[in-house]
Amino acid sequence: MSQPRRFLQVDVFAPRPGAGNPLAVVHDAAGMDDAAMQAFARWTNLSETVFFLPPASAGADYRIRIFTPRMELPFAGHPSVGAAWAALDAGIADGASGQLLQECAAGLLPVRISRRAGLLLPAVRSPRARAQAQPAPDWLRAPRVFDAGRGALAPQLWDNGPQWWLLELESAAAVRALQPDLARIEALPGGGKLAVFAWDPAGQVLVVRAFAPGVGIPEDPATGSVNASIAACLHQAGRLPGGRSHYRASQGREIGRDAVLELEIDGEGEVWVGGQVHAVIRGAVDW
Amino acid sequence: MALRPYVLVDVFADRPGAGNPLAVLPDARGLDDAAMQAIARWTRLPETTFVFPPTRPGASYAIRMFSPRREVPFAGHPSVGTAHVVLEAGLAQPQDGLLVQEGIAGLLPLRVDQAGDARTIAIRTPRAQLVETADAGGSRLLEALDWLPLGQLPPALMDGGRRWWLAEAVDEASLRAAQPDWEAISGLARATGSMGVLAYARCHGRDYQVAARAFVGGAAGMFEDAASGAANATLAAWLALRDALPGKGGRYRVSQGREVGHDARLDMHVDAEGEVWSGGQVVSVVRGQIDWP
Repeated sequence: MSQPRRFLQVDVFAPRPGAGNPLAVVHDAAGMDDAAMQAFARWTNLSETVFFLPPASAGADYRIRIFTPRMELPFAGHPSVGAAWAALDAGIADGASGQLLQECAAGLLPVRISRRAGLLLPAVRSPRARAQAQPAPDWLRAPRVFDAGRGALAPQLWDNGPQWWLLELESAAAVRALQPDLARIEALPGGGKLAVFAWDPAGQVLVVRAFAPGVGIPEDPATGSVNASIAACLHQAGRLPGGRSHYRASQGREIGRDAVLELEIDGEGEVWVGGQVHAVIRGAVDW
Repeated sequence: MALRPYVLVDVFADRPGAGNPLAVLPDARGLDDAAMQAIARWTRLPETTFVFPPTRPGASYAIRMFSPRREVPFAGHPSVGTAHVVLEAGLAQPQDGLLVQEGIAGLLPLRVDQAGDARTIAIRTPRAQLVETADAGGSRLLEALDWLPLGQLPPALMDGGRRWWLAEAVDEASLRAAQPDWEAISGLARATGSMGVLAYARCHGRDYQVAARAFVGGAAGMFEDAASGAANATLAAWLALRDALPGKGGRYRVSQGREVGHDARLDMHVDAEGEVWSGGQVVSVVRGQIDWP
């Protein structure tokens, strides 16, 4: 058996430990082959496991590989945010300039680091989201969907890597109370994924729920990609309250979590998604 | 914030990744039910266990087991994995080769066998009763199993705390190649209040005498389990009932999980009193600490 490697299980998009989306982190993964990484990611049963490697490209601070229990991903938001935090935590990068360059299978990814109340908050630039021409099925265009009233925006399929149907509802309360028919969502074109959202009454926080039965996830607790698509959609529609460029999204409360994602649309229209990260488990792994 | 020891182990495994994962908090003092459930939801593992000092005479330690959704009264793989962590942490010592686990299901003994570097831990499982066999069950059952070429013994429903349908395949190759009909398995599980189907074949593997696949199709979800201690215990009781135990002296080894990317081994033993012991080896994969508010 090889030497134990440093292991962390962090909670991403979490205002407190346990509220967000867990991520397994294996440091010093040079020497692990693809099969070993895939086998460990399957064994952890977490939505993603990341493996740290020395950078291969000039300018990169570090390199990661991202695995789900089933396959390697070229890029994903929540693992990238968690990995950036883990890189700072381990001293692999210092983030003193307020930026990191993370290398992953999709290429070089800029990461912004902001500091607030002693916390380090990474944010990653999300791939550009685009609305798709796919017409929405009739049931999704009806005035009421799953017994909830629709909001002003027409339902649309968006793509920023993964594809999600985005559906605005009439109120945050309707989002929280929604009881969706997962079989209908699973049959949606584009992979069977639907996100619903609405502003809270004060217009401060966007309440989001994400259902992905098409990929075996009834409801996801904290989804970087879908929130980035929603931000792009709201920006394009001019529906960001007060023309703001920054807001918070609340997700996962209905399934026992309470994640908070921070969204920012920069001057170029790029969407940045980030949040708090907590190291819940620290140890060493023998694999 | 409190830092507590946290161990991830692989149960029914002779190497990391072969068995069924389990998270163990060997010192859970001070955690309430809500915190334990929240941790078990967050680990996302089939089970997370919490160890407390024993409260009953004769117990080595007390245990609570949680799946991501609820507390589990008894399950085999968490019991075996937790005993390994308790021994590694020096929290208890076996007396005459036995540890006694205190849980919701009462006091249950675990046998610890050390052979060189390999340590096998087996739990005595609750006595399983035959509920019905397919002879009486009729065509509904046979339709629900028509994806599996059936072997010699009739399908049987056993109750060992949780109920399992046990279905013998005609041989190992057809068991491993079988494509389960999930709809039929779920319907059968719901209609009979059972976990699902444990399909098996008596065989002559390299180091095992039974190959098994566990298809969970009831309220617990719909998946193939990597290594099922309690289900295999009901199978051992069934084979003993039919005088069909493979191996020698009531001992045999099971291969399970290969079809879902694992490669577990379970060591089953039906002793002279007819008690069924379900066990195997355990490998520590992650040793660390958890910081939970």
